[in-house]
Amino acid sequence: MRHLAEIPRWCDDVTDFTGPGRFARRSLLKAAVLGRGDEAGHLLAVTGEDIEAAATTLVYTVTGRVLDVSPHVLVLRTEQGEQRFPLTASARAWRGGQIPAAALKQGDHAIARRQQPGGPAVDRIWAQIGRVTGTIIEREGPATLLVDEGPAQGRKIVIIAAEAAGRIQVRFPRLEPGYLIDVIGLKHDGFLRALIPATSQPPYLAGHPPAPPLVNGHVPDPVSGTAVWHEPGEEPEGLLGLAYPALDPETSCERTGSAPAACSGDLHAVDPHATGPGCVRLPYLSVGSLLLLQNDCAERSRLLPVTSCGATARLFCDRCVTCGTSRKGRIADLTMAAFVELGGALEAGCFNATMRIGG
Amino acid sequence: MLTAVRELQIPLLAALLLGGCAAKAWRLLRTRSLSTVLVPDGLLPLRLRRPVMMTMYATEFTLGLGLIATAGKVGAGGPGLPATIVRAGTALFFLVAMGALNETRQRRPDVGCGCFGEFSETPIGWRTITRAGVLCAAAAATIGVPPLRMPSSPSTAELWLAALAFELSLIAFLSPEVGEILVRLGYSEPCELRRLPVGRTLTALHSSSQWRRYAGQVCAAAPDDVWREGCWRFVVYPGSAHGRAVDIVFAIYLQARRPPIRVAVLDAEADSPGPAGARESVVI
Repeated sequence: MRHLAEIPRWCDDVTDFTGPGRFARRSLLKAAVLGRGDEAGHLLAVTGEDIEAAATTLVYTVTGRVLDVSPHVLVLRTEQGEQRFPLTASARAWRGGQIPAAALKQGDHAIARRQQPGGPAVDRIWAQIGRVTGTIIEREGPATLLVDEGPAQGRKIVIIAAEAAGRIQVRFPRLEPGYLIDVIGLKHDGFLRALIPATSQPPYLAGHPPAPPLVNGHVPDPVSGTAVWHEPGEEPEGLLGLAYPALDPETSCERTGSAPAACSGDLHAVDPHATGPGCVRLPYLSVGSLLLLQNDCAERSRLLPVTSCGATARLFCDRCVTCGTSRKGRIADLTMAAFVELGGALEAGCFNATMRIGG
Repeated sequence: MLTAVRELQIPLLAALLLGGCAAKAWRLLRTRSLSTVLVPDGLLPLRLRRPVMMTMYATEFTLGLGLIATAGKVGAGGPGLPATIVRAGTALFFLVAMGALNETRQRRPDVGCGCFGEFSETPIGWRTITRAGVLCAAAAATIGVPPLRMPSSPSTAELWLAALAFELSLIAFLSPEVGEILVRLGYSEPCELRRLPVGRTLTALHSSSQWRRYAGQVCAAAPDDVWREGCWRFVVYPGSAHGRAVDIVFAIYLQARRPPIRVAVLDAEADSPGPAGARESVVI
């Protein structure tokens, strides 16, 4: 651990999401010094209102805990208190699989999508959904895995559900330490019960991703690729933002050096910052940078701030095939709220995305 | 003329087969993982993937060497049985490859063919499949070709060269790998991807005329905030102007020499340019 005095005070604490004022102001200062829309044509023109809206406003997404549910009404305890949401006739719910909305359980953590922006009715609900994305560092028996999600997210236990074992084994044939895994399932206390493979397992060891194609001139803007989602962890549940795979290594302070191995599993842990640029070459950005992200499958776009470090996404040289085949590599790891806000289906795991750098 | 074109196919096919083996071996050495060069998941039962791929690589390598070894005079009066077997085997290899590529394209549209290692990561398209078909036809055309010899006249040599140029152009057109190779040959890292220490940025800033102009307003030795977006690094110093607290923002372009620098002064609590008013730009 570095001594506090050795850390420059302007280093980003990527977990400092509770005091976002400094990061939100960065876009404002940048617009002041470079102008509204950069002369080089690389940046988006944004206003103070855009920046405010990017950080706070959820128009489609509602998160909370299920208090009561009937075939027609869902009652959630949200940050605003108890709220009632009418269910549309076509409302669908997910809780380990597609179920009638009325089958949701009291106490479930739920994330719901409104049918219309800001409207009262909801048409999609996901309950207790979770995801683990990272490097397998230990395996116990045929179905229990310890997965390292990288320096920002820590480690999680995955238990592969018996009924999903075949499905997951087909897409993840090497459930062995050192290989990557990305699964979606039901959250339980202390572990995830894996039910759905979120991608196909990359064939290489996590520490040896292939080098991405080189680019001449400037990095293309916009850039296309895959957008995925991650669990909130220490972040607020309704946070709108994304974990960016290429934070500036000089100022983001996400890398504090490798700790000595404390257990045998540590030998398989991979520091994604030490594996090169990752699977897609992205421009270095910082926490607070604004990106215009478009869901190519739903044709919905949103200005989103970078809220955390998504270096683990660098390790996955996969493609999303939700609508056509995306270009290779993960360009954004969205918060759950942002993923749903952009029209993504959480159980699908990804959508094809186009990203422009803004602010 | 036709015989000359048919003769040309033998060294060309051998070069492509051995080149493919070399590219895969290079990738294997770089990643130190056999699994990176295996057939994609979902196409074969798990237990068959490794033996099938090893057999395929061995076949590719053997056919490449075999084409060269049997190209000269083998036996008297003709190409001989070994040459015919190797050439027919090569045609069969590319025919099977065509089918396998088509199947892979249907079942895993997101993966590349891996034919030339890490250069072949573009998803399989009609060009890759057509290339396998062209090479299959080329291999079939070599069956029965007499032992290779040097061109008998300058006009024959010119014909060889013209046919070679045409065929290489056709293969290049059908190869998504060519674009990747050209990019690697002329690569220079874009500024958005270049790592540049903060210390160098601050040194460049402190030796600029913009810094000298605003240094009198700066109230702290160290910046309040430093961050980067693409090719620009931003440095914010707390300052004072006309008795009001201001933020002095410098934007420094990330290049090693003579970086352009821009500056703006904002009220510390406001969201618009402050008392100093204008933005300025300068190249030191």
